[in-house]
Amino acid sequence: MKLISYFLTAATLFAQSAEPDRLMAALKDRTIADQVSRMKTDDRIKAYETMATHMKDNLHYQNLLATAYIQKMRETANPDYLTRAAGIVDGVINADGGNYEALRLRSQIELERHNFAIVATVSRALIKIAPDDPWNWATLGDALMEMGQYEPAADAYQKMMSLRPDLASYNRASYYRFVMGDVDGAIAVMKQAISSGSRSPENVAWCLVDLGNIYFKTGQTNTAELAYNAALKVFPAYHAAYYGLGRVHAAQGKYPAAIQDLKQAQAAVPMVEYIAALEDTYTAAGQKDEAKVQQKMIDTIDRLEIANNQTANRTLAMVYADHDRKLARALELAQAELKVRQDIYTYDVLGWTLYKNNQHAAAWEAVTKALRLGTPEPVFHYHAGMIAKALGHQADARKHLEKALALNGKFDTRQAALAESALGEMKLTAKAQE
Amino acid sequence: MIQRTCRIASAALVLVASGFSASHRNGPLLLEDQTANLNDFYIFRSYEAGRNDRVVMSMSAQGFQNPGNGPSYYKFSDSVLYRFNVNNSRGLDGAPDIQLDFVFKTTLRENPTFLSYFGVIDSIDSAGILLYQTYTVVVRDLKKGTSVAYDRDKNGHLLSVAPPNQGPKATPNYEAKLGAPSVFELSNGMKVFAGPRDDAFYFDSSAVFDFVNFRAPAPVLAGAADQGAGAAYPAAADGFAGYNISLIAVEAPITMLTADGAVPTSPTAPNAKIAGWASTLRQFITIRPSPADPMHVGDYVQIDRVGNPLTVELLIPLPMKDRWNRNDPVNDMQFAPFIRDPIFVSAVLKGVFGLNTAPAPRTDLLGVYVPDITRVDLTIAPNGPGGAGYSRLGPLGGDNAGWPFGGRRVGDDVVDIGLRAAAGVLVPGFGAAPNNQLGDGVNSNDLPYLTRFPFHAPPHAGFLSSGIGGTNGRGTSTQ
Repeated sequence: MKLISYFLTAATLFAQSAEPDRLMAALKDRTIADQVSRMKTDDRIKAYETMATHMKDNLHYQNLLATAYIQKMRETANPDYLTRAAGIVDGVINADGGNYEALRLRSQIELERHNFAIVATVSRALIKIAPDDPWNWATLGDALMEMGQYEPAADAYQKMMSLRPDLASYNRASYYRFVMGDVDGAIAVMKQAISSGSRSPENVAWCLVDLGNIYFKTGQTNTAELAYNAALKVFPAYHAAYYGLGRVHAAQGKYPAAIQDLKQAQAAVPMVEYIAALEDTYTAAGQKDEAKVQQKMIDTIDRLEIANNQTANRTLAMVYADHDRKLARALELAQAELKVRQDIYTYDVLGWTLYKNNQHAAAWEAVTKALRLGTPEPVFHYHAGMIAKALGHQADARKHLEKALALNGKFDTRQAALAESALGEMKLTAKAQE
Repeated sequence: MIQRTCRIASAALVLVASGFSASHRNGPLLLEDQTANLNDFYIFRSYEAGRNDRVVMSMSAQGFQNPGNGPSYYKFSDSVLYRFNVNNSRGLDGAPDIQLDFVFKTTLRENPTFLSYFGVIDSIDSAGILLYQTYTVVVRDLKKGTSVAYDRDKNGHLLSVAPPNQGPKATPNYEAKLGAPSVFELSNGMKVFAGPRDDAFYFDSSAVFDFVNFRAPAPVLAGAADQGAGAAYPAAADGFAGYNISLIAVEAPITMLTADGAVPTSPTAPNAKIAGWASTLRQFITIRPSPADPMHVGDYVQIDRVGNPLTVELLIPLPMKDRWNRNDPVNDMQFAPFIRDPIFVSAVLKGVFGLNTAPAPRTDLLGVYVPDITRVDLTIAPNGPGGAGYSRLGPLGGDNAGWPFGGRRVGDDVVDIGLRAAAGVLVPGFGAAPNNQLGDGVNSNDLPYLTRFPFHAPPHAGFLSSGIGGTNGRGTSTQ
């Protein structure tokens, strides 16, 4: 039924010119778009590549091709696809500065490039053009979340929700609630997101991984495992799901299984956190040589970052701090990240790297900012506990270390044990003083 | 050796690694909603033997289902509220008077496999239905402010969704064992069904090209091609053949739907006509958690709606599409300017094909599309395929029991009717050829419809499905 509607729309859109050729192109376009949206991402790319090549002046195909590339980038985390999408979108905007579809895509691309302030500005401008489009409220909210502006972010997400409750808006609502410490709400809303579905299976798998992460962070390890496995069923070989599964298996002490999972994740996408998790799991399993290989890979990535003048990287900063390596570099990376975004996750890493560089007072100040929303992140509390301990604040230190372990006693293959021994040490000292 | 392999691998990996080594949360942005988009809405007086005193409504969702899409197949979304709206008062203004809500619940039974359905399934209670969906029907009378919920049939059986038709081994004798038993009668006298069915809609979607490419100056049918029930043009193919949809259907006594609870006796009686449309909604959730109301209970936001076929939804400018979908038909007057003088008629039918079309303002189209609801004259005797005087062209073929006067039946050829009506056949002076011979060349569905509720043909079986390849609109029964 919708097909005939597309036929009519297309006719309407191009009626002004009423040239049969243009009209025919429009008719094909609407029909094909509907058919193509049912395809897998690779087939979608092929279809739109063909159309974009053969009908260069139809900018809509260019935009659709860019959209397919962005989806592929989501699935593979390969930045090459983002570059391709950006090139296409720039071309469209050069040809037609007012192309709304392309402008909307550009805010999504800038989001991927971490140009959060630009995204906020552009989204607000697009909202003036199309106040009823949930997309712009989503990109505005996403940018504000990264910038640590949680109140206006909530307003943007709320507007998005009121326009269209669906997988995209439920996913954001769930994430916001988790950040605000509402675990039950976050889980319930994420289930709504999953049930709402998407034509791209990766979107659903993304939500399942988010759900697994909430479960894992709050100690519901076995339920997390179910969620990650469900994600793999929906979208096979999904790297983020393998990473989650690897952490679950490591927490369960099933190191060979964890290594297999993390190798899958790392081979698909060599994210720093995947490599670091694999290193820690090899270490825990007593495979020191293999651990060393992973560590070297992290160093190579860092050298590449330096060569590319990349200074901001909180993930790398965290990994160095976690392993007590290159601590000055870690602090530099975290401080540079703070210039890009001022959210609680950046403050947490900043606090942790300051602590490792023996700047305990500044570290406490940073980690306090990370904790200010009551987010149930075990690492936030672990870091706060260790910093408080270094400052000699015994009560705070115990409170936060206990909280980290209460959330998930195995929150990290390497760090959870360190939290436990720090706590044990404090208890012994306290007993000795009695 | 292992070391060297690792080094080569890592060199390759890190080349890719730079650029996304600092991650952020990039939540999905949707272009296409999968579960809440509706395809078609049907409403008509039942022509099932002995049940002429009832009205049938159905809605289809998730079109173009590949029948063999295991292991999960298609399910209804637990987060979507699927709603039938009935308007019976105030001159059919497009505001609902009665609503029938369908809310689904998915239960995953103990599952030793990766499958959603396991083993031979020969009963709607088979343990092999591991992905078990049930639903609740809520009947709301908005004037009285009452609502009654049913989650079981009159015999106490849970209202369950018909399982998919996998094939002759896994789901033998599908319709008798699984399809028909999934029709439930409620204690209030309604019948309900939810599950996969063949898509009753038929349309030469590839004629979107043919229209302009091959059949210029106009897609005109003649003689047997116009009257017959088979594929008229060799090139015409039912683009919907071989695909399934998810159907929700309800049959209700006329007396439950009219304003005064009586069966109308005269076409001029105030209760002679009712109208209906379908909509989908999802619940609004507050972003900020609230300790007082931790799980929120938000209002429902309308995601999609469908009233008439050939909906004007997309005749209006694209940026207004979301606003259209969120609005109720009662507010459709704001969209009237786009329908009063449809560009499709003036620019395409007249401009491209050179047809002598009825001029604006098109009050005949306004009468059908504003508000966008499908009207049923309950005093017209029901008629269905095989009945005397039945025509796929409805009133245009002399059969008033079809769209747009008698509602919309599953077999109504709404594409041909719509093209002819758009050209102006209902406007005096514009009913002559070729306006009254327009069509897409596909004159019937790929499968015969049922002659009983829910009327849509049983779903194509996964095992036997060959998609649409080469069927030329003539799919074969996959029973």
